Amino acid sequence: MSAATARPRSDPFAALRGVKPRPRPRELGLLVLVAVVLVAGSVSLGLYRTHRLDPADGGVVVSYLIALGIGHFAQVLAGRRTDQVLLPAMGLLGGIGLLVMIRLPQELVQQSFGGTTLGLAQAQLAWLVLAIVVASVLAIIVRNDSWLRLYKYTWAAAGIALLLATFVLGRDRNGATLDIHLGPISGQPSELLKVILVVFLAAYLSENRPLLVEQYTRLGPFRLPPLPYLIPMVAMWALALLIVVVQRDLGAALLFFAVFLLLLYVATGRATYVVLGLAAFVVGSFLAYKLFGVVRERVDIWLDPWSVAQGAGYQVVQALYAFGRGGILGTGLGAGLPTIGGNLPIPEVNTDFVFAALGEELGLVGVLAVLGLYLVIVERGLRIAAAAADDFRALLATGLTLVVGVQAFVIAAGNLKLIPLTGITLPFVSYGGSSLLANALVVGLLLALSDRGVEAPPPPRPPGGRLARLVDRGAR
Amino acid sequence: MTDWGGQRAPLGRNVLRVGLVLVLAFVVLAGGDGYWQVMQAQPLSAAPDNPAIIAAARQVVRGRILDRDGKVLASNAIDAAGQTYRVYADPSLSGVLGYASLLYGTAGLERAFDAQLTGIRSADPVADMLRKFQASPYDPSDLTLSLSLPLQERATALLGKDRGAVVMLDPSTGHILAMASTPTFDASAIADPATAKAAWAALQADPGKPLLDRAVQGLYVPGSVFKIVTALAALGSGAIAPSTTFPQQPAAETNGLIVSGYKVVDGHHPFTDGEALDFVHAVEVSCNIYFALTGLKLGGAGLSAEAEQLGFGAPIPFDLPTAASQITNGGGNIGGGFKDDVELANAAYGQAEVLVTPLQMALVAAAVANGGQLMRPELVTGLTDRSGTVHRIDPQSWRDVVAPDVADTVKAAMEQAVESEWGSYFTPGAKVPGIPTAGKTGTAQLGGSGEPNSWFIGFAPVDQPKVAIAVVVEHGGGGGARAAPMAGQLMTYYLKELAQ
Repeated sequence: MSAATARPRSDPFAALRGVKPRPRPRELGLLVLVAVVLVAGSVSLGLYRTHRLDPADGGVVVSYLIALGIGHFAQVLAGRRTDQVLLPAMGLLGGIGLLVMIRLPQELVQQSFGGTTLGLAQAQLAWLVLAIVVASVLAIIVRNDSWLRLYKYTWAAAGIALLLATFVLGRDRNGATLDIHLGPISGQPSELLKVILVVFLAAYLSENRPLLVEQYTRLGPFRLPPLPYLIPMVAMWALALLIVVVQRDLGAALLFFAVFLLLLYVATGRATYVVLGLAAFVVGSFLAYKLFGVVRERVDIWLDPWSVAQGAGYQVVQALYAFGRGGILGTGLGAGLPTIGGNLPIPEVNTDFVFAALGEELGLVGVLAVLGLYLVIVERGLRIAAAAADDFRALLATGLTLVVGVQAFVIAAGNLKLIPLTGITLPFVSYGGSSLLANALVVGLLLALSDRGVEAPPPPRPPGGRLARLVDRGAR
Repeated sequence: MTDWGGQRAPLGRNVLRVGLVLVLAFVVLAGGDGYWQVMQAQPLSAAPDNPAIIAAARQVVRGRILDRDGKVLASNAIDAAGQTYRVYADPSLSGVLGYASLLYGTAGLERAFDAQLTGIRSADPVADMLRKFQASPYDPSDLTLSLSLPLQERATALLGKDRGAVVMLDPSTGHILAMASTPTFDASAIADPATAKAAWAALQADPGKPLLDRAVQGLYVPGSVFKIVTALAALGSGAIAPSTTFPQQPAAETNGLIVSGYKVVDGHHPFTDGEALDFVHAVEVSCNIYFALTGLKLGGAGLSAEAEQLGFGAPIPFDLPTAASQITNGGGNIGGGFKDDVELANAAYGQAEVLVTPLQMALVAAAVANGGQLMRPELVTGLTDRSGTVHRIDPQSWRDVVAPDVADTVKAAMEQAVESEWGSYFTPGAKVPGIPTAGKTGTAQLGGSGEPNSWFIGFAPVDQPKVAIAVVVEHGGGGGARAAPMAGQLMTYYLKELAQ
């Protein structure tokens, strides 16, 4: 392939030329399985509620399944050789989340679109359908990645702008600044930010990988990265701290920093960086604990939620009770604890604590199944990374996968009191448009990256780029 | 330097490692989930503030609570609106049973056994797991207690208008026979929706704090009854023998004992006439100087170790929540957490920072009575589910706190303290007529000008004891004034009329 044809094309419709349908039997089979599970869940919920064979909110579940089916057939028509497991895995997680939303009190969410007001389940259905559209469209049209890799500083700037927007326009919720509101539109920027961050890191690390691996600055017994390369890393650490300080969004900070460290390890293979990063994390955590009440409170709740069971520790204690009530087999969908005197047993059960709701109604068995689904997504994502044609794609696929896997771990571990609770969503399951759409971006990009028939990546540029040449110590 | 030349070094291995880290993290999640959903499921589901229990309380007719002879202590009534509510046999039970109210939640045994009484949890974990497949998820159990209602009523009546507590138990089984706490309150009035609000308001305003179950939650300076703990520690460790005398003791009775420049004075048994007392005599006349010297000889660490064996230092595992008794506030750096020898010397005869619950002191008496083997205290002896299946809770040994010969030495001394000429001067009225009785009084000085707390611990009969007792009467005066005669009457009533 000549250098000329390898250059990125800007024709957006190029993707749609010469399309030949290609059947996706594995995906279809798995989606049928997903349909069986979700219909069974809906019937079980209906049976519990009415004691008749009457699927609960059958329309919502069927609409969702139709959307998944359309997503599947769009992929078939597009004819790309992309991964066939990711869509069903995401579909089942989303469907389980949808069943939980059907089961919860619908007044928890009143989402107005135009003249109509949607309750919890309908709103979640709308977001899920939109998520399927986003993932499918990305999977079909993204054929080259130059728009991601070449403009990394543009992406970084966009990310920082998003962060600044949150600082300025953000509204406080439960002591943290998570949402921004612009007229009728509101959202959680940190969900989008995590995708942008991964794109930037993948581009930065792949370009500078040779230097990060080979060169180092000695500092006592440690081999540090070359000083100019240390700066972006320190910046990442500072960014995470900043998010804690300004937004008090511990979940996002933890997620970003963990993904950054793991990605740095994948790019360099150097455990020293991870150790240094962990040391920085410990120092940062200690500082945050000393300086910020919100961090101290979370840690204290984590250490002994029962001492404040009627106050700050209420949520955590109630979540543990929910796990306890579930036991091995769960209470069954719908048979978990109803509202007590009009109040939810666990506040924020539809977002931060949906994992506890799963534990109560589906039991240990259901929780293991959900954890297994995340591992399926992780396995597919990392497989795509390992098979990628170049470093950027490998790091991008790894980073996107990590975002989902680490986020699921952080919130599930918080629900289970393994780590202090940080308020982030359980990917694909929790209620919320920002979260669903951001995770749909992840799945869409992973699907696109999994296509082995896609354009070859551009030839590698001289390692390091401009910054590297400035510090080049005659290695070349 | 490696020639990168457009070729990428494989990332696959690093990706695989990161994948393994994630798998490991998820295995930890699965383990954590298993911990809460399997291992901790039962205790979590029985927690009194679990909303499942609160939900159950609205739907379920609670199981009854019965005494050792099947007398009903707590049952249910229905009001005009069809709502069931609790009715209690007698106010003397208020400390033990607590209350169950839709408005004010639960307390006492009603709280501790809420899960079993509402039937959200039974004695059978497998049945509990399969419960959800049945029409009603609740299977309330009746509780059978070791408590004797007439004995409980008698103990409460004898405390009268005084504040205080009585704990009686069978030393060979740990079964609680009576556990009175005064003032009492009318739990039925709190449970009845018609009277609940007024009764609750009155209760909250009562300066006597009737909601405090003094038998298990009240912390008192023990005074001389604590000497039995010091005796068990000192004899058990060999710090003293039964024949040990302290030559400086007789003079110190009048001049005071100087410990680190601080004077410990006794002098309330002048008729011992300058005699250096041995162990048995020191118990008989309750000699503070003797036990101060014993404590100093024993050392703080030895006293602390034995006290811990007896249950001090942590809440006693029991069917009701208990306060932790202590021998010191801790933090000091002579052994056992004592500040200095002055504190240790004073603690050894039950003053300084020693604080005890009546249940703790009853267990000390029971340990001596039972030859050094301490049984786990138990109130609930059986659960009966709706199908009539009875699940018995058997007595359990808790700890062997001293060797049998040490227990026998202390037992003999406590017998002398009740039965001998000297003893009966200090301990009038504790004797059960016709039955050898053992015991020890306590007069706990509280500082200030108020009357001291009156204490007694003891047991009977001396051979094969059937009952051990601890009595405390707040501001009741000397141990012989109130507590000892009450204990005598209660042990007599139990042994002569109830125990057959």
